[in-house]
Formats: sequence, structure tokens, C-alpha cells
Amino acid sequence: MKPQSPFGRLTNRTSYTFAAWGLLIVLLVVCSIRAPYLFTASGIGGLLVSAGPLVLIVMGLTVTALVGSGVDLSAGPLMIFINVTLVRVLFDNQIGSPAVVFAWALGIGVVIQVVQAIVITVARIEPVIVTLSAFLALSGINLVILTQPEGQAPRWLAEWGAGRSILAPMTIVLLVAIVGWWAFSRSPLFTSIRLVGSNQRTAFVSGVPVAAVRIVAHGVSGLLIGAGGLAYTGQIASGNPTQGGTYTLAAITALVLGGISLAGGRGGVLGSIPGAIAVTLISFTLTTFSLGTLASFVVQLSYGLILVLALLISVIIPAVWRKRKEAMA
Amino acid sequence: MGGSRVAISQVAKSFGETKALREVNFSASAGEIHAIVGENGSGKSTLAKIMSGIVIPDAGTVAVNGRTVTSPSEALGNGIATVFQEVLVAEGASIADNVFIGTQGLWRSKVSRREQNRRSAELLESLIGHPIDPTAMVESLSLADRQWVTIARALIRSPQVIIFDESTAALDLPGAARLYAEMERLRSDGVCVIVVTHRIAELTTFADRATVLRDGADVGVLSGDEITESRLIELMTGVAAKGGLAAGTQHHRRLSTHPQEKIVLRAEGLVAVPGAEPSDFELRSGEIVGFAGLDGQGQAEFLQALTGVRPTAAGTVAALGPEGEFLPINSLAGAVDAKVSYISGDRRKEGIFPNLSIAENFGMPLYRKHRRGGLIDRTAIGAKFKDMSNTLKLRAGAPSNPITSLSGGNQQKVLIGRELAQQPRVVALNDPARGVDVRTKRELYAQLDTLAGSGAGVIYLSTEIDELIGLCDRVAVFRDGALLGWVVGQQITSDRILAGMFGHLESDFDVEKAMVEQS
Repeated sequence: MKPQSPFGRLTNRTSYTFAAWGLLIVLLVVCSIRAPYLFTASGIGGLLVSAGPLVLIVMGLTVTALVGSGVDLSAGPLMIFINVTLVRVLFDNQIGSPAVVFAWALGIGVVIQVVQAIVITVARIEPVIVTLSAFLALSGINLVILTQPEGQAPRWLAEWGAGRSILAPMTIVLLVAIVGWWAFSRSPLFTSIRLVGSNQRTAFVSGVPVAAVRIVAHGVSGLLIGAGGLAYTGQIASGNPTQGGTYTLAAITALVLGGISLAGGRGGVLGSIPGAIAVTLISFTLTTFSLGTLASFVVQLSYGLILVLALLISVIIPAVWRKRKEAMA
Repeated sequence: MGGSRVAISQVAKSFGETKALREVNFSASAGEIHAIVGENGSGKSTLAKIMSGIVIPDAGTVAVNGRTVTSPSEALGNGIATVFQEVLVAEGASIADNVFIGTQGLWRSKVSRREQNRRSAELLESLIGHPIDPTAMVESLSLADRQWVTIARALIRSPQVIIFDESTAALDLPGAARLYAEMERLRSDGVCVIVVTHRIAELTTFADRATVLRDGADVGVLSGDEITESRLIELMTGVAAKGGLAAGTQHHRRLSTHPQEKIVLRAEGLVAVPGAEPSDFELRSGEIVGFAGLDGQGQAEFLQALTGVRPTAAGTVAALGPEGEFLPINSLAGAVDAKVSYISGDRRKEGIFPNLSIAENFGMPLYRKHRRGGLIDRTAIGAKFKDMSNTLKLRAGAPSNPITSLSGGNQQKVLIGRELAQQPRVVALNDPARGVDVRTKRELYAQLDTLAGSGAGVIYLSTEIDELIGLCDRVAVFRDGALLGWVVGQQITSDRILAGMFGHLESDFDVEKAMVEQS
């Protein structure tokens, strides 16, 4: 086998992230022209506030995609479910202590994800069907719990929505999540998740407790989506039952942009986090053009086109590169 | 010999209509190499899966080290490790991860990553014979080296019972020799080594005992000197071997009486593996050409380039068309138009549609031709299917059963039948008999013989030299990605081909010495 330089190995290992980083850089360059104030302390803080919830749920989606459950459609409505129940059950009853709020958000995230995982592994129903059912059910329940945007988050949480400086609360939340991921990615559990995702049969015959690994992976995802629900509640400082579907679509866009294999086993947050920030930047960049009422349509159109283009480029460039290398050899 | 490690009695298992095992008794002891032999569909792989906890028997008792096993993790915990016929690796994970898969706890690792890398590098170097980077992705390895990874996976657990289920299938000859040496080392360490195999010729030299299965039941246990090819074949097939059969397993002689010999496939300056020397190649109608070479010497790539499956790096390939003109082959579509068929030995990956039925797998390429007013003519395809299953002696349930209900050899028959139904002018087979039993192999050779007799050209790539002898008119030997030379007619012997594989086509080459140097 050919010896490989550490740099070569690194680029090989991380080549899946190139599309997301490339797009992110392009968008940052566009923003530096259209909206230079983005590069101030409060500009970056503000960007992270608007990207925060999406980054967190995309991290959650990364775990479920890695373990081989494909795209988790339920992530957006689950995040909103946490948001509306926080408002209706806790905040409306004047319960706002951080410990209770955290336990509520993370707990609901974990419970709903674990229930889905049990249906997937024990009843052996296709993950996409299970998460689609959860998507539909939660979207409906959310509108029952909260018929319209209302409510008021406690002050400490509403602070999360303010991105006055680089070290705003949301930045710290994201840093904690990333450091947590770093530790998680070095655990044997993470290796098991990737092995189960890349070849479930191999993992099963090699004695890996496949069902347990899948359930735990969904639990970790629930934890991250729970954090996403908190971040979303902080961002808008109230409750809003309507944004679930939008978040699911944006999260899937970010996931695919981040190069995470939907077949399982491949990828990581090195791709999905820049993917999520890029998705946020797309809509931000478009708001710097005055599109008026067309804005939301243009945003969706751009998501679609950029996703396809980014993926095309990420397929074509390595292929051309390999051809050249082969021709030189 | 130590105590009994594995004791199986009265075990039965059915998959739907198919009775895989009727009533099997089997026992193996510590410090012996015990072979399980049988034809395809005799139930030997099912038996291995039962011992590994993957398949739960319907009836009977299975005890490994005195305890029953009901799941793979339980089996592994009881000291029984299995190397499976399929090369089961987790793509996208590192080599070390693939070696240590399943040994680590969910929350805390028992072996540090550095230690995992060190131990897997050490073990794999001793098995493969050259150093490998344990942090590299497992898909950067060749098929044979991936098989070594699965073998290392079993060995790293220091099992008391180790099952090799057709584990030499993906290995080349020196590799198989190294594996046999490893098995003997395990035996001397007191491990119970169970070998499930169809390579009975090699088995006779190192197995202490052999249990023969036929139609889901054990029909005899041979030990020591009783283990001979003729005795094994007799038990496996249930008929006493007649004179010539015992002399060898596949010495099937084709009557090559084809004077016309027109060229049906031609390659000029073909380079299939980038960087290799260009090679010329000609295939005539009515002949069977063998492709031989050590593992990974470019013979498979050359075959794929000839049949449009893989793009060529340089050179041209052309096949005889219906009007005597030569049609260029540079894509699969071109190959289909020129009636050039490629049959892969890697059924799972390149051959079958696992979700579809037997009949659908067979009829897939026929749908285009057999139509009535835009609709598929199922009666015509049904008739063809019946023909095929008769001539190829397909052992299958209803044609509407999923293809995965068939044993490997019978799946291969469906794939071969599928290609033959298109009346090809050139048939290229890439190691089609991997994991196929003797009887099915013979049926396959007879089919190819008839096919060549009808004027088609046949290319047969095999990893087992024995297969080529008696079947092929000429054997092309590959080395360093290119066609090294030919062994023709009476000179086709295993010594000559083996010598050629090591780069020596001259007749006075010492094969034994080269084997020793290689390993």
C-alpha cells in the first residue's frame, strides 16, 4: 500500500466537507461586499444566534444519519414541540428555573427520539416512515398546544436571542455542543455508531449490540434537538408553532451539503456545521437584496439550486482531480 | 485431543419451504481441525451460522463449551468466532476499527486506540505478509486483504472455537497456504478449528476429521487417512465414484473439433490497469480461454475492459458483429449490442437483484426483446425460464420466490442462464464458481462446453487453477496488470500455470521454491 502523508490522509478523511466549506467561503465573500457589518463582533454574534437552533438540530440529524436511519424528518417539528410545550406548560405557569427548563427540553427530545428508535429497531419499520409519522403527528400537536405565536420566555433564556458580541450566550451554547461532540466522537460509542451505520450486518455478526447502539444514537440526537429547541426558544424569546417543516427542510439541506452519507456510516459535524451556517447565510445574504414579498420563495429556490450545484461541483472536482492524477502517474 | 468443544444433536432448521437442515449431529474437540463438507444447499453454511448464534435452530440442541448460544454476541462471549464466506467489512471505517469491531464496550473502550492500531497492524502483517496502515479505510484494501481483515477480527479475540466458512474463497493460492499454516498453528495451541469448505482437494492434506453433509443431514464422519477426495465425493453426492472421477474433481475434457475458428473478440494494445504494459488479445469462436494470475495482477480488470464493464486506459476492443464487421466495445451498451456477456463471481454486488424473484432476476434483460404490443410477454419468458432451469438443473422452489432463497451456486446458475438466454457470441465469466460445489461446477463446465460447441467464444477467469485444467483450450497468464503469455493445450498443468503466475513461463521453473519465497 502507498504510504500517505499526514496531510494527504487529512484531506482524504475530510474531503466530504469540501462542498459545505467551499459554499460557506463563497457566501462570506459575498457578504463582505453586500453586508460588511457582518464582520463586526455583534455581526458574528447575531449570525450565530440565527444559526444556533439549526446547527444544533443538524448535529442531531448527523448522529441519526451516521447510525443508518437516513434523514430524520421529525427533527423540525420535535424542536418546535419542545418550544411550544416550554411556553405552555412551564412559562405560562411561571416556571422558569434553568434546571427545570433544561431537563424539560432535553428530556422531551430524548424521550421522543428513543420512542422512534424503538419502533425502528424492534418493530423493524423503515426509519423514513417512522420519522415521517412523527413529523406529521408533532406538526399537528404543535398547533393544538399553541394556536398562534405567543408566550414569553424567562429573561435568562431570552438573553440567548441577543447577539451583541462574539461571546454572547448562544456562542457559548454552540461551543459547549462542539466540545461535547469532540468528546463524543472519541468514545467507543461513536465508533460503534459508525460501524452499525456503515454495515449493520457486519456489526451484528461481530457481536455489536445493534439495537442498543441505534437506540442510544437516537437518544444522543434527541439531546441535541432538545438543545436546539432551547436555542430556538431563546432566539425568538416566545413560542411559535409553525416553523417545524421549514426547519426540517433547512436541516436536511445542511446535512446533505455537509456531505453526510444518507446511507450511514460516513460524515461528521465538520461538514454539517458549516453546512448549517451556510444555509443560514443563504437567507441572510438574500435579505440584503430587496426582494420584498418574494423573499421566502427566492430563499427556497436558492436552497434547491445551491444544494444541487454544490453537490455537482463536489462530485465533478474530485473526479477531474483523480483523472489528472492518473494521467500524471 | 481435548474435550468436546462443540456438541450439536438432532438440529433442524427450515427457511419457509426449504428444509436447510433435517437432522444434524456434529461434534468437534479442542486441538483438532474438523472440516464440514457438502454440496451447495447441503446445509453446511446454515450449520456454521447456527454455531455462531446467527441462525436459531427450530429443533435440537447446540452446545458450545457446554452452553447454548442464541445471538452472535453470546457466541463470541462463549469463545466462538466465525469468519464468514461473504467478506463482511464495515466500509467507511478504518482497518483497525474493522478488526476490533464488537470487542469494545458501548461506553468504555477496553483497548486503547493506539493499542488497537498496533495490534491490528502486527496481526495483519503476519497474516498478509506485508505491512499495512491500520488507520487507512478498509475499502482501500483488495478483496483478498479485506478477507484477511475478517480473519484477523476472529483471531484477535483469541477464540477457543474458530469457524472458517469458505474463508479461502477470496484468497489466492499462497494466501490459502498461509491460512492453512495459521489453522495448524491454532490447532497446536489447542483451539478447535472448524473449516466449512468445498475445496476438498486441499482439505485432504490437513483436516483431522471431516463431517459430510448431504441434503441437510450428516451422512458420515471421516478421520485421518480416510479423508480422500473419492471418499468425500462419494459421501457428498451419494453415489460411488466411478473410475475416472476419483482421479480428479474437474478433469472434464472438451471435444474441440471446431475448424472454422474465426475471431470473435479482439483487443489491440489494451491497457486495463493504468501503468501496465499494453497487451494484444484474440478470442476465436468455439474456444474456451482461461484467465489466470495471482490475486490482483490485473486479470479481472482486463476481463472487465474486454467486456465494456470497465473503461480502458488505452487500446481498443472490438467484437464480431452479425455481418462479419467488428463493433467497437467501449461501454456496456456496446458490449450488449455486440452480444458480449459478462458474468460476475461477486453475485451479491454485481449480479443479483436481491429484492426480486428468481424469475424476475432471470428475465430482467429479456424484457426488452420479448414484448407483445408494448407489454412484457411473460409466457415467452416463462418458457425460457423453464428451459434454463432444466438445462442448468436449477434446484429451486417456485420461480416467484426471492432469489435470496437460493443457495449461492443456484443463484449463479440463474445468472448464467440469464446471459445464455440472450444467445451471446462471447461469454466472459469472472470466477463464477466461487463458493460453488463440485456437482454444480461440473454442470457449469458442461454448459460452457455446449456453448462453445455452438460457436460462441468463452473466457473463464478462475482463482482456482484446477478449474482451468481440462476445461480450457488456452490459458492466458497475467502478471503486473498485463497479459504475460499463454499456456496452450497439453501444457495446461497446474505446475505450468502456477509458474507462469510467478512470471516464469519457461518449463524448467521450480514452483515449490517460489511458493516458499512468496510466503
